Amino acid sequence: MTSIRRKGRLAIAGVLIASALAACGDDSKSSNGGGGGGTTSGPAITLAVNPWTGSAVNAYVAKAVIEANLGAPVEIIDIDENASWVGLDDGTIDANLEIWPSGHAADYETYITGKKTVVDLGKLGPQAKIGWYVPKFVIDAHPELATWEGFKDPELAKLFATAESGDLGQFTMGDPSYVTYDEQIIQNLGLPLKYVVAGSEAALLTAIDQSIADQKPLLMQFWKPHWKQAKVDLVEVALPPITPECEASLAAADGKYACDYPVDELYKAANAGLAAKNPAVFKVLSALQLTTDQQSEIGSYIDGDGMTPDAAAKKWVDANPDVWKAWLA
Amino acid sequence: MAVSVETLPTLESDESVRARRQQRTIGLAIFAALSVGALVAAHDVPDWMDSGIQKWAQDRYKWSVVNRQSSKIFTWVFNPIADVLTWAVENTESLLLALRWPGVVALVGVIGWRTGGMRAAIAGAVALFGVGVIADWDLAMRTLAIMIVAVVIALLIGIPLGILTSRSDRVERVVRVLLDTAQVMPIFVYFSPATLFFGIQFPPAVVVTVIYALPPAVRLTNLGLRQVPVVVNEVGESFGATTLQQLFKVQLPMARRTILLGLNQVIMMAFAVVVLASLLGTGDLGREVLAALQKLEVGKAFAAGLGIVLMAVALDRISTGEKSKRHSRLATKLPTVSSRTAAMIAVAVPVLTVVVARLFDASVFPTSLHYDLATVIDDAVQWVQDNLRKGVPVIGGTQAISDFITMHLLDPLRDFLLWLPWLLVIVLAALAGWLSKGWRLSVTIALCLGLIATMGYDNKTLLWDRAMDTLSQVLVAIFISIAIALPLGMWAGRSDRVERALRPFLDGAQVLPQFVYLLPVVFLFSIGRAAGVVACVIYAVPPCIRLTSLGMREVPFAPREAAISFGATGRQEMRNVQLPLARKAILLGINQTMMMVLATVIIAALIGAGGLGLLAYRATAKAQIDFGLGTAGGLSIVLLAIMLDRLTQAWGTRSDNDRGA
Repeated sequence: MTSIRRKGRLAIAGVLIASALAACGDDSKSSNGGGGGGTTSGPAITLAVNPWTGSAVNAYVAKAVIEANLGAPVEIIDIDENASWVGLDDGTIDANLEIWPSGHAADYETYITGKKTVVDLGKLGPQAKIGWYVPKFVIDAHPELATWEGFKDPELAKLFATAESGDLGQFTMGDPSYVTYDEQIIQNLGLPLKYVVAGSEAALLTAIDQSIADQKPLLMQFWKPHWKQAKVDLVEVALPPITPECEASLAAADGKYACDYPVDELYKAANAGLAAKNPAVFKVLSALQLTTDQQSEIGSYIDGDGMTPDAAAKKWVDANPDVWKAWLA
Repeated sequence: MAVSVETLPTLESDESVRARRQQRTIGLAIFAALSVGALVAAHDVPDWMDSGIQKWAQDRYKWSVVNRQSSKIFTWVFNPIADVLTWAVENTESLLLALRWPGVVALVGVIGWRTGGMRAAIAGAVALFGVGVIADWDLAMRTLAIMIVAVVIALLIGIPLGILTSRSDRVERVVRVLLDTAQVMPIFVYFSPATLFFGIQFPPAVVVTVIYALPPAVRLTNLGLRQVPVVVNEVGESFGATTLQQLFKVQLPMARRTILLGLNQVIMMAFAVVVLASLLGTGDLGREVLAALQKLEVGKAFAAGLGIVLMAVALDRISTGEKSKRHSRLATKLPTVSSRTAAMIAVAVPVLTVVVARLFDASVFPTSLHYDLATVIDDAVQWVQDNLRKGVPVIGGTQAISDFITMHLLDPLRDFLLWLPWLLVIVLAALAGWLSKGWRLSVTIALCLGLIATMGYDNKTLLWDRAMDTLSQVLVAIFISIAIALPLGMWAGRSDRVERALRPFLDGAQVLPQFVYLLPVVFLFSIGRAAGVVACVIYAVPPCIRLTSLGMREVPFAPREAAISFGATGRQEMRNVQLPLARKAILLGINQTMMMVLATVIIAALIGAGGLGLLAYRATAKAQIDFGLGTAGGLSIVLLAIMLDRLTQAWGTRSDNDRGA
């Protein structure tokens, strides 16, 4: 019995070796076939894609342009925002083409101004804006909720009450890693609201669907650009305009912030070694810019038409040579 | 029958009974005094209790960020390890891809055939083929490559460590505490350090997976070796075998079964981590799950998740070995082959398959075989959402249940725990420990809670308060899980038909990545703690049902038959004979339930459960600022877990002593 078992094990070892040999024969051929294709050479350029459509749009447009014109293969890594900073730091990621400044002040300070292992590649183009949002049906029924003052009325705020918030209205925050002043704003404006963390963007998106399905009011932190904005009618609630006091409070981090969110100017960042590794790519990525409209157009190919990011980017690149030719100049 | 068991204690002398009673009185008096003290002391944890652990951890984090290119520990230790791991995963992946899909399926089939017979071969091959049918084959192979590397490393470290722990009780104790801590620590706490130490992509993913997969390898090797009868060792010794000879020729072969069970558990634990590890940039099937969820594509996430499950099943079937061999009807029908023929078949089949596959260039899994599971699932989820949320007769629907859980279970319990002075919570928990087992457990519990009190603040809220919030969620989830699982488990334990009907649900709910059902749970139960509790219950109920049913089934038939022959009705027999005898297994089930709840209550932070889980998540999401806070939150969860684990384990052993079994 045991000897049979041992032979069985030998057989398995044999199988592994044999198949490894069979496989290795033309391994190089197969791994090349799987690659990006085209006539590319030199060390691969690695671009990070963070988990949202805009991020994929920028990276795949850059990939298409670089591979076709500069001959360097481009590799894409789908990765969490925070982990991508570590990759930028040690050079496993060459560039990340969409960073929202509001959420990454500490990273900027650590890696770009501090260690200088990461460099700022300049603005991407689109301006993003975080704010307070409600579904449109809420404003249709209660126009006074279009501005923050409407929420001062406890009766109206109560429309947003849930089991979690009790008698107060619930203010819903999505992913806790995103920047938030909402607790301060609620407190400093004296609004009868309770700040509840949904925990993830996906949970927040589900809450939106649920709110619309039930016609149950929802007040939340949300932002533009976001693919969901094209699918559901959301209205931004006007918060008090930004004052010098608010700017000072933000700088001092004294917890007295009581204004609207500042505009986010999205920017690009690269590993400091990229300029030496491939100057041409460094130049193109520095020059690369997309407008909000261009980004949403390509994004709609992906989210609306179900194209792969690769195909969507190529389609746009083929149709708009004048835009990206300027980056090469 | 119950009488005979209960009369046993009276065999003790009157004196010892009196001594025990006296001890009990003294103990109660001490606890009464402590309670008064607790009432007099401050209601909240005082400031001076803050140990500064948050700042300590944050400083270590900062140091690593700044020095990861220059420090020797990185250039000499971490970087080479990372390089080796990357090399291993990349090569395993390209080998799997080079084998082509028919080759991989054939290989799995052959390995299954040699380890577990025809049935294992077919099950393994079919499961792996199924991966290609419902999910993306290339992404799946990347996941498989990461899993293979992680499992091999877990075994390379785990088995020697298990041998070591089997030889020394002291080593065992130390290792056990370390492994328990490592395993209960929320995965979010590991991500930032793992990326700082090992970079991004495969290396940190493998390291994190190994951390979770290691404990069963150590535990079951240790258990297997300790179960080898002393006589066997002595025989070996008397024949003059050296220690090493003993180990390799006698003990390890005899412990083989248990160690194989360990391998099986290692694989399961490893697969449980896949989805989250993809946050580190592995770009595999796990990432497919997360990416789909990000866009609320539940069906797509489910299909990818099921792909992961099927891969786990395939590896499970071919690694469990001979379990089903003897009972296989198929095996007896097939002609037995000589070992040499078997070896030849085992080599020839995969090699031929690979060659043929490469000739026909079957590099991509054929799209014609692809089954669009996503749409089916989406429709089902849609139906559930449309029909169960509201307007269900009597119970009103999931939304009503959610509100009930929040307002009538979670809120009162949390408010009560926060209303109690913190020291009184410790005294009462310690009292429970003392009543369950004695002073030692009582001190352990007090120590765990006491340490939570030293964890400091989250902004202006004490971590203690966050811990009480989480504790209330854990207790409610355990309560609901048991209320559901015990009756179902008992029923399944007495009826084969029920057992069979439940099995697919049990397997599915347990192995499916938790993320896949988080979103439907949110949609049904809304964001918040109630949704978190429901997620915990979904994950915790299966093991509890399974262990209860198993316990009922393992009760020997003789006492049950005796009871029936004495005229007991089925119900009487169950209550008075089968249940008491199955008690130990059921209590083990409750212990498992609790561990599952604690594992899920952290993930539940992603759907609004808050508490310690949210803090732990911030260790990943805002490491630059909150790593220290997240670590403190993670440690608090570990402490809660140790406390609850020891307490529920004590119930299991106590029932032993009481019953004299």
